[in-house]
Amino acid sequence: MVAGATARTHKVQLWQRPADFARKLAQVVSSTMTRQFPRLFLWHVARHARRHKLLAGLNVFSVALGVSVYLAIQIANHSANQSFAASIDLVAGKANLEVRSPGGGFDERCLPKIQAAAGVKAATPLVEGYATLPDYPGEYLQVLGVDIFTNLPFATFSVGGPTPADAENLDIDRWLGDPQALAITDEFARAHSLKLGDALRLQVNGRQQSLVVRSLIRLDLTAAGRGNSRVAAMDIGWAQELLGKQGQLSSVQILLDQPRDAEGVAAGLRPLVPADATVSAPGQRSGQIERMLASFELNLGALSLISLLVGMFLIYNTIAASVVRRRVETGILRAIGATRFEVQCLFLTEALLFGAIGVTLGIVGGVLLARFLIGREIARVISTLYMLVSVDRLHLTPLLVFSAYFFGLGSVLAAAWLPAREGANADPVTALSLGLGATRDQSRLHAPRWLRWGLLALGVALAASVLSLTTGPAWLGFGSAFFVLLGFAFTAPAVTSVASRLLERLVKRGPGTSRGGRTLGSGVLLRLASQNLHRSLHRNAVIIAALMAAIAMTVGISVMIHAFRRTVEIWIDRAIVADIFMTPSANETLGNGALFPPEVLDGLRHDPRIAAVDTVREVGVTIRGDRVSMVAVSGDNRNRLAFVGGHGEEKQRAFYLPDRVLVTEPFAHRYHVGEGDRLQIPTPEGPRDFTVAGVYYDYSRDAGIVAISHDNFVRHWHDERVMSVGIYLKNPATLDDTVDHLRQAYNPHGEFLIFSNRAIRERVFEIFGQTFRITGVLRAIAVVIAVVGIFLTLTTLVTEREREIGVLRAIGASRGQIQGVVLTESALIGLLASFLGMLAGLCLSLVLTFVINKAFFGWTIQLTVPWASVLATPIWILLAALAAGWLPALRAGRVPIAAAIRSE
Amino acid sequence: MMKTTFHTIFCLAFLLLSPADGRASAEAPTPGAWSLALPGWQYRFPADHAIHPDYKTEWWYFTGNVVTADRKEYGYELTFFRQGVLPPGQRRAPVQDERGRSRFVQGDFKFAHFAITDLGGGQFHYTQKSSRGAFGEAGFGSPEQAAKPFVWLENWQLASEPDGSWRVTARAAEPVPMQIDLLVASQKPPVIEGTDGVSQKSTGLGNASHYYSFTRLATRGTLAVGTEMKAQLVTGESWFDHEWASNQLGTDQIGWNWFCIQLDDQTELMLYAMRRKDGTVDPVSSGTYIDAQGVTTHLRFEDFQLQPLRTWHSLKTDATYPLSWHVTVPSQAIDTTVSARLDDQELALPQISYWEGVTAISGTRAGRRLIGHGYMELTGYTGALAGLKAKDPAGESSLRTSPR
Repeated sequence: MVAGATARTHKVQLWQRPADFARKLAQVVSSTMTRQFPRLFLWHVARHARRHKLLAGLNVFSVALGVSVYLAIQIANHSANQSFAASIDLVAGKANLEVRSPGGGFDERCLPKIQAAAGVKAATPLVEGYATLPDYPGEYLQVLGVDIFTNLPFATFSVGGPTPADAENLDIDRWLGDPQALAITDEFARAHSLKLGDALRLQVNGRQQSLVVRSLIRLDLTAAGRGNSRVAAMDIGWAQELLGKQGQLSSVQILLDQPRDAEGVAAGLRPLVPADATVSAPGQRSGQIERMLASFELNLGALSLISLLVGMFLIYNTIAASVVRRRVETGILRAIGATRFEVQCLFLTEALLFGAIGVTLGIVGGVLLARFLIGREIARVISTLYMLVSVDRLHLTPLLVFSAYFFGLGSVLAAAWLPAREGANADPVTALSLGLGATRDQSRLHAPRWLRWGLLALGVALAASVLSLTTGPAWLGFGSAFFVLLGFAFTAPAVTSVASRLLERLVKRGPGTSRGGRTLGSGVLLRLASQNLHRSLHRNAVIIAALMAAIAMTVGISVMIHAFRRTVEIWIDRAIVADIFMTPSANETLGNGALFPPEVLDGLRHDPRIAAVDTVREVGVTIRGDRVSMVAVSGDNRNRLAFVGGHGEEKQRAFYLPDRVLVTEPFAHRYHVGEGDRLQIPTPEGPRDFTVAGVYYDYSRDAGIVAISHDNFVRHWHDERVMSVGIYLKNPATLDDTVDHLRQAYNPHGEFLIFSNRAIRERVFEIFGQTFRITGVLRAIAVVIAVVGIFLTLTTLVTEREREIGVLRAIGASRGQIQGVVLTESALIGLLASFLGMLAGLCLSLVLTFVINKAFFGWTIQLTVPWASVLATPIWILLAALAAGWLPALRAGRVPIAAAIRSE
Repeated sequence: MMKTTFHTIFCLAFLLLSPADGRASAEAPTPGAWSLALPGWQYRFPADHAIHPDYKTEWWYFTGNVVTADRKEYGYELTFFRQGVLPPGQRRAPVQDERGRSRFVQGDFKFAHFAITDLGGGQFHYTQKSSRGAFGEAGFGSPEQAAKPFVWLENWQLASEPDGSWRVTARAAEPVPMQIDLLVASQKPPVIEGTDGVSQKSTGLGNASHYYSFTRLATRGTLAVGTEMKAQLVTGESWFDHEWASNQLGTDQIGWNWFCIQLDDQTELMLYAMRRKDGTVDPVSSGTYIDAQGVTTHLRFEDFQLQPLRTWHSLKTDATYPLSWHVTVPSQAIDTTVSARLDDQELALPQISYWEGVTAISGTRAGRRLIGHGYMELTGYTGALAGLKAKDPAGESSLRTSPR
């Protein structure tokens, strides 16, 4: 066929390398024609955009959507990081060194020694804690106990009033003498209509305390440009008593005589401070937090890039559509002397122009998306899983804007490259001769070659997976996921081609023709549609690949979440066995921060209905420079843990022996610690070696947990306090009565969260759902983009085939039948994409579950596939495809016969 | 961390005495509230050198003129303040239980001012310190225990010596390195200021302080100032005031002028004039004349005259201080001029500033030439004080001024 030969010749030009491009660019810049280029460009682009507003709009929209999602996630990540940094700045903004204990507190008696140490210019103590506000559900305050006698050189905020002059007017007697005197930020005061003299109830460690707003804090934003409004200050003495931290400091901030000698002074200070406290530059803490969040944010970042990828398919489609519509124009341009290169430049510049508009809109959209949807979700997930954060301000940095333009325009250029070449390569003779047009749109894709590329990509994906799991680095897992998508995308032409031929053959032999009689019956309809599918492979394969990618993402993530959830269910069955759980309700808002009042614990232990009470305490410890959660548990009822390598009972018994700990699977993975290994943990008495009695499965923290028995904890930390309790009833039938009783006895003002076993399971899955809500948002957007892609492709195809449609109509096809052909083609696209997407999605879920989760978090997830929902995919994709094909089908039905066949 | 000039406000506290604007004087003292300085106080020494924690404010105030062997002259000021935070009824046991009470919750906070006037070099250096004394770095002890400080704020200390004299030490690194280590021994018995055990500061019962002085303390020791910090042997004379009160001043008062005068005939004068907003002097102002044997004569407002002769304008605070005075005490036939030895002896501390410095006295007693030296304190001349007072229209302001 003529078309085949043409395809081969064009193929060479299709793949001209960037070096050639650069050379040609230089040539063109020096040529005289280029001077006409701006005028030509205006004529070419502006007229087209005016005529085809929808196409231009979609072009801009697809870029904007991809960029929005990408940027929103970047902003949310960055803002969360900034929020952490701000909270560090707030307490350690100007300090050169900081003494801090990951456990949250250390003995205050080291303070005078620090103040007197060589090289220390000034040192101020700080007590920090969190309180929830019963009158403002969900709100909290970070309470800072400050020492006004020593903190002046460390000033990052001022207390007093809304203006600098007011700040001087603090009533010092009241500040020091009144246990209720509290300063809050003016931002917080405004948000909650609080004014000086108003009472404010705080809930701390399960107790309610009434305080009075005595002054306002003005954050010194000029220093860092960021701040946290949920901060309150009071005198350090009253803060210690409010927070139950008598005798303890949260940190000591230090200024040095010679800031450059920080390491030297720090070395001198270490013997002076309690053994579990660290002396380091405050900046190292933000580094720790960034490391802790790195995996989480990398995951989100990778997902956000997928939205750009899907956007690229869309851009490809819109540019392709506009190239098709302007074939005649392009022909004229070429005929009057424009070079191929110049035509390509026209299309590329047009794509970049629309791209730039799209990116700009996308930046606005990204900010809005971050503000109203993603930002809050991410902050919530981080607070639940890592540490308390509230994102007050969104941070859009020049770098983020630049990256949006870079990735946005980069993807536009990449996606527009092929269609633009196609437009440039239009032979002027063919383009201008009306009669030959109908045969032009035959596939120019060489399916087998793409198939080879696809198989190669899948091979690369496999290799990347293996590498990611064995030698690392872990991010190769994302490379693997990318190549899975790419590999399946490359197989789309071959699969489409094979499928359409199979279908044709099937229809030929099928009942439609064997019965005969009807020239354009359903069989013919199917045959025409499948022929079309094959003939327009260069368009259809691309949209099938795009839809496939979106479906694969949906399926892959669904399967991963399902498997994860199933695994967590199994884990919960073992881990959550007590009948009732009780914790200070502040822990709901604050993560684990509030302590359980000892008298309540005592009361529970003496309750005749209660058989046993297990306790849990969580503190931070520094292990190999990272802050890691350590959980102290009492009671052998609580956990029937599942251990890596079995022998659970034996290991559980060993756990209670002196100097033993357990670690979770993610911890073992991250720190390369195994059963029987020694693990050094800093305790208030100094570093102690503990033996790892076992590694157990746990899905609550990706950073890992060290578990220690309560007795062992008290032995080394001398701290009996606990954070939550698990209650076992003598008679489980009294569950509801006991819960009611506990609520009445201990919880008149909502001081505690009291969950029955069932309720806490529900709560766990609620948190689980929250964690993955963000992936749901991305998934939905990907599918929307893909469906828009179908619409675009079919619109383009209908335009390309106007003459053919005209001929069909002229030989007797009804309007409905034409529409039927288009809808059938749309349905075939949907079905093929579903088929490929499900396959790719299953592969992707393997990568997500076994490679990415394992490599990043060290979680072992038992893969279970939600077959029902996976197999339902083709149904709703089919419906979506039919919906997307509706308008193009209508349009095809309305093609005027006379105009269409004018050239025949 | 906190940028409030909290500690700069502390320097105010020595001016802050009254928790209420004179109303307290009309009310009966409530149990657990601050004690008022009421007539009839019986001074007992050395017990009264120690703190009086039932009163809101208290200070130990040293000023002195000293000279080196090669006639280099210096003036010094070292003042310890205690400002009560928790009234007697709320005060806590001093013992800290690690899990019970916070050691940072103290009944009072401590602050101190330290200044050296280098008369030869024409330089004035001053600095301040403050602390709550949570770890005992600042506090008060018994003056009867020798060789241990009984008033201290880190290394600024006042201690009793075995021979009954006191040792006054302070060392600062900024704004310039300076240090004093002085032994002071009183030449005369303590002087009870005022009448019937109280020094009245404004009209009304309890608007007064308990106030005694050592008016001539023989002084010897070392003094160093400047980057070399070379300790120089010095001798000279100092003046010591100890005063405690809860509630002193009226709302119409804005500051005061205070003079201590050590004359070469071994007599001394202490004079203060309470300045009112309307520019007049409150008639409660008074003074004391101490003869060579230590016998005191109370001087009522009408017994002495203070007439400003020359003013000096501070560029730092925009305040205008009268630095030269015509001082007459007709009953003692004293007619002298009191002049600042150096104009800029202003402690320009943020928020509040006051002038406290070395003076020279020259004049006559009954026609015979009379010279001497002393210290002068001028307060309420900066605009900031008025601004502070204006902050609280409800009259709840605790910013009231009082002279010694």
